Amino acid sequence: MQRRIAKAAVVGSGIMGGGIAALLASAGIKTLLLDIVPFDLSDEEKKDPKARNRIVEKGLDDAIKSKPPLFMDKKSDPALVTTGNLEDDIDKLADVDWIVEVVVENVKIKQDLFKKIDKVRKKGTVISSNTSGIPLKEMSQDLSDDMKKHFLGTHFFNPVRYMHLLEIIPGPDTSRDVLQFMADFCEKYLGKGIVWAKDTPNFIGNRIGIQGMGKAMHAMLEHGLTIPEVDAIFGQPMGRPKTATFKTADMVGLDTMYHVAKNCYDMCPEDEMRDTMALPEFVEKMVNNNMLGNKTKGGFYKKEITPEWKTIRKVINPETLDYEEYGKVDFSCLAEAKKKASLPEKMQTIVYADDKAGKYAWDVMATSLIYAANRIPEISDTIVDIDNAMKWGYNFEMGPFEAWEAIGVKKSVEKMEKEGRTVPEKIKKFLDGGNETFYKIEGGKKYFYDFASGSYKLVPVSEKQISLYNLRQENKVVKTSGSCSLIDLGDGVFDIEFHSKMNAVNREMIEFMIEAHQYVAENGVGVVVGNQASGMPAPFSAGGDLGFMLGLAKEGKFSEIDDFIKTVHQSILASKYAPYPVVAAPFGLALGGGCEICLSADRVVANADLFMGLVEVGAGLVPGGAGMMHLWQNYIKYKPQIAKITDYGGFFVQAFMQVAQAKVSGSAAEARNAGFLRPADRIVFNKDLLIGEAKKEVLKMVDDCYAPPRKEKFPVFGREGQGMIWSEMLNMKSGGYITPHMETIAKRACYCLAGGDVPAGTPVAEDYLLKLEREAFVDLWRTEQTQQMAEHMMKTGKPLFL
Amino acid sequence: MREAYIVTSLRTPGCRRGKGALAQTRPEDLLKTVIEAVMEKTPNLDKKDVEDLMIGCSFPEAQQGLNIGRIIAQMAGFPDSTCGATVNRFCSSGLEAISLQAMRIKSGWCDVAIGGGIESMSIVPMGGNMPRPHPKMAKENPDVYVSMGITAENVANRYNVTREMQDEFAYHSQMKAANAKKNGLYKELVPTPASRFVEKDGQWEEQTFVQDFDDGIREVTTIEGLGKLRPVFAANGSVTAGNSSQTTDGAAATLIVSEEALKKYNLEPIAKVKTYTVAGCRADEMGVGPAYAIPKVLDMAGLKVEDIGIFEVNEAFASQAIYCMQQLGLYDDKSLWTADSDKRIVNVNGGAIALGHPLGCTGAKLCAQLINEMKERGVKYGVESMCIGGGMGAAAVFELV
Repeated sequence: MQRRIAKAAVVGSGIMGGGIAALLASAGIKTLLLDIVPFDLSDEEKKDPKARNRIVEKGLDDAIKSKPPLFMDKKSDPALVTTGNLEDDIDKLADVDWIVEVVVENVKIKQDLFKKIDKVRKKGTVISSNTSGIPLKEMSQDLSDDMKKHFLGTHFFNPVRYMHLLEIIPGPDTSRDVLQFMADFCEKYLGKGIVWAKDTPNFIGNRIGIQGMGKAMHAMLEHGLTIPEVDAIFGQPMGRPKTATFKTADMVGLDTMYHVAKNCYDMCPEDEMRDTMALPEFVEKMVNNNMLGNKTKGGFYKKEITPEWKTIRKVINPETLDYEEYGKVDFSCLAEAKKKASLPEKMQTIVYADDKAGKYAWDVMATSLIYAANRIPEISDTIVDIDNAMKWGYNFEMGPFEAWEAIGVKKSVEKMEKEGRTVPEKIKKFLDGGNETFYKIEGGKKYFYDFASGSYKLVPVSEKQISLYNLRQENKVVKTSGSCSLIDLGDGVFDIEFHSKMNAVNREMIEFMIEAHQYVAENGVGVVVGNQASGMPAPFSAGGDLGFMLGLAKEGKFSEIDDFIKTVHQSILASKYAPYPVVAAPFGLALGGGCEICLSADRVVANADLFMGLVEVGAGLVPGGAGMMHLWQNYIKYKPQIAKITDYGGFFVQAFMQVAQAKVSGSAAEARNAGFLRPADRIVFNKDLLIGEAKKEVLKMVDDCYAPPRKEKFPVFGREGQGMIWSEMLNMKSGGYITPHMETIAKRACYCLAGGDVPAGTPVAEDYLLKLEREAFVDLWRTEQTQQMAEHMMKTGKPLFL
Repeated sequence: MREAYIVTSLRTPGCRRGKGALAQTRPEDLLKTVIEAVMEKTPNLDKKDVEDLMIGCSFPEAQQGLNIGRIIAQMAGFPDSTCGATVNRFCSSGLEAISLQAMRIKSGWCDVAIGGGIESMSIVPMGGNMPRPHPKMAKENPDVYVSMGITAENVANRYNVTREMQDEFAYHSQMKAANAKKNGLYKELVPTPASRFVEKDGQWEEQTFVQDFDDGIREVTTIEGLGKLRPVFAANGSVTAGNSSQTTDGAAATLIVSEEALKKYNLEPIAKVKTYTVAGCRADEMGVGPAYAIPKVLDMAGLKVEDIGIFEVNEAFASQAIYCMQQLGLYDDKSLWTADSDKRIVNVNGGAIALGHPLGCTGAKLCAQLINEMKERGVKYGVESMCIGGGMGAAAVFELV
């Protein structure tokens, strides 16, 4: 039988259920969302289908309204979700290929539900539970053989769309086929990073995670630190998300965190760190007082607004449970770490420091590393799954074993032993074997140290995955500069990889790209423009290098800016008209220059999570890399297949608004709606597969007898665009919606996008439009306001409206 | 000069743009309904006796284009000899059409004619489908293209019309309309066949029904509720959706004849079209137009404000309506316009804030409302006026026969 998930059902419409339904719908899968009939209906309401679906409707509504958005295309995706209740609609489960259970964490309720499902489901339907702690064997014990064979755990993380991790937990009787099928499906169609977990309490992510949280909290009290101090240490300096420990807890919800911790405490009586799972008393009090974090508008932190509309950030005092104002955290080791370039250096600086922060960081870190090592093979057989779980489910930059490696395994173990900490035998054995790192790369492949066999084994990855990091180790770098490299992906396909700060487009990169294309013209069949930066959101490229141009502007070197933009255009056109296919593979942030590079590519293979836009006006500029021209070409060439001159007004206003309002898409689907992506451009759900898919696309285009786009004139909207926008500008100005310099920029953008003052429909050459763009770009740099706006953007990351 | 007599003056209900009852009914169909009703309610007169139809329309394009005046004459079953024209002076178009016909009759060029107005704002958007302001004009002097909301803000700011005043005025407009609707005071309203398309079991089905009330009236409006609305045209403005006119679909028509025709066809007149005029003002505060047009038209008629028993001053926006009333001395004495006052003479059954402002139709629609109410109350003189985009005001005086 050919397995396929064409229809799915999600039972339970809470935050997780709604999130899973939204993800399924975003992936184009018809989804049935079910929940219970409310208990408190009046006799009248009991007959009313609307009242009976009240809970599930609210769940779907919350998912639609959620911020950040859970649906990728809020306009069309929700229509794929149908709702129902477990009394009237349970029979509909017979139609679906996969049922995900996400109801309340109560064994009895889950068992009853599964028995009901067992009666209606068709044979072959996969059933999974999203439980975060209840053992699968308890839930599946009384089920039919076919259902047991198709029963597994799929543990998603919140928010479902954005968290990469999916823990798959085989049940006692799950068939191998089903497991493999679901792992492939969830990886490819839903874009998840798969971690294989065992049927142990809280599985991997939350087991390791909650120990870390508990330890961080207890140790804070022991070491006499404050909440903001802990968050300053265990945030970015240690490769953790900005929200660090306590802000993360506020986001997750203290009740959820408390529940996870308690579950672990109750169900793991043998755990050597069980005490840390009992969260400090003040946390328990907060939970009882309904101070649950963001959802109750107050957890460890609280925002208060003064009558003058000023926001004051406060933090709880663990002793009094009162909220108090707090200032900046100042530790010498953090200041030192800030100066270091790489994360391992930063981490070493902190954990081996002698100050209060250093001692605290070491204590928490050492405990957590030992804890993680002790969990093998209890919760997982490999370090890979543990590291991945923490990276993908908790947004750590490094999992525990990677972090251990980063601070030096040998050095840290010596310190641990000196302090009398019990270092796991397997770690001692690892060191005794002369090993220093848990991971190593050989022949372009990544290996991990396997404790069971005491040897290195291949890290299992999907065949579709290409790791640029591994290829670097394998000396596949053909050319490189400080901010950009050309990497051989094999089969004649080369990757242009950015690696500047935030992958901002700078002069070096622009010049490098021209050279790279010369190289590929002689040696290759096609190019992928892609990188594998990490972060939340990760930067494919966050824009142009403002600092470089600001420097020139301040020195009055406007002709150099002019020359620079000429080079940018040369580079962009070299890519566009190259005699081989160029495929851009954007993900995360693709802003300004990053967006323009994608617009000039023959095809885009985009990650589903794509924040794309021409945002230059925020820095006081117009796009300078042919972005407006290419966006306009997308509108008239691709949006509707046949655009007539009478239609131009509508297209023009839409394209203009993208630029003038610096609109950024919230997903690749939205980028497509906005006209940044064209009909043939592809959306790939799993970021890890992006480069591989882009390479595949290049080869397919080559195979399809690729011919570069023709350099031909194309019609512009001309002076009619000026008339429309200028008259509307009066309304914006009168309404106080636009500042004077922003108006200047908007009008200039209008001029470029419209192709100047020619009559509507005039066919113009690209060179002409690029000249208009270049002139506008340089002229704006000449103004003091643009220089101020750019400087403000560089310093704060936020626009200053002048 | 001869006299021009109004014999019949009717309107369709005004219904909300987009969501309202008439949103999916073609403008020609609305117009056909009201013109046929005018003919039916005028005994003794045959369609062949009508020489000409002039139809006011602010965006005479697309479904309202191709000279809807002539098309409607044919659709409504008039013979080939009955002519038709489309007239555009934006918001006074309907009144312009009536006045043009009146002038033709007064001059002796014509004896029986219909003036009317149509606007389906649902079907032809405000601004038209393809607005193309002149680029040079847009750069040098864009005021003539300015958004109506901005002009309302300008009036509010320049002449100190506060948010509170606007909301209070809007509230009374709603209450007056709610009262009129409840008590069946809109005698000029023609129950109008309409249709909407609904999907049923995978098929699209045209459902037809008769709409016999104005669906923009909000009986439940409160001043507090109005106060909570956000300004829509300016960041720190005072003009909201609640104190602006509603965008609306509707049609209206008036039969005008000469004295000779009255006798020939044995018709009973209601009122005379006495005078009509337009007056210009600054485009960026077009709402003040009536403050110039009304004194001018009264002067032409040899009348004073005090002589007028009923005013229909179009409520494009509360801010401009208030300002114009202030200039005429009709605002400060609130009993002249509040819903709870028996002495009220301004927009007695509510205005466009409650009943809607179907642009090109409004002039004809207000005429129907005014003539009906003059007849009901036995008022001798009535004035209709409105502001006009681009910077104008129009006003007409009607005299009860």
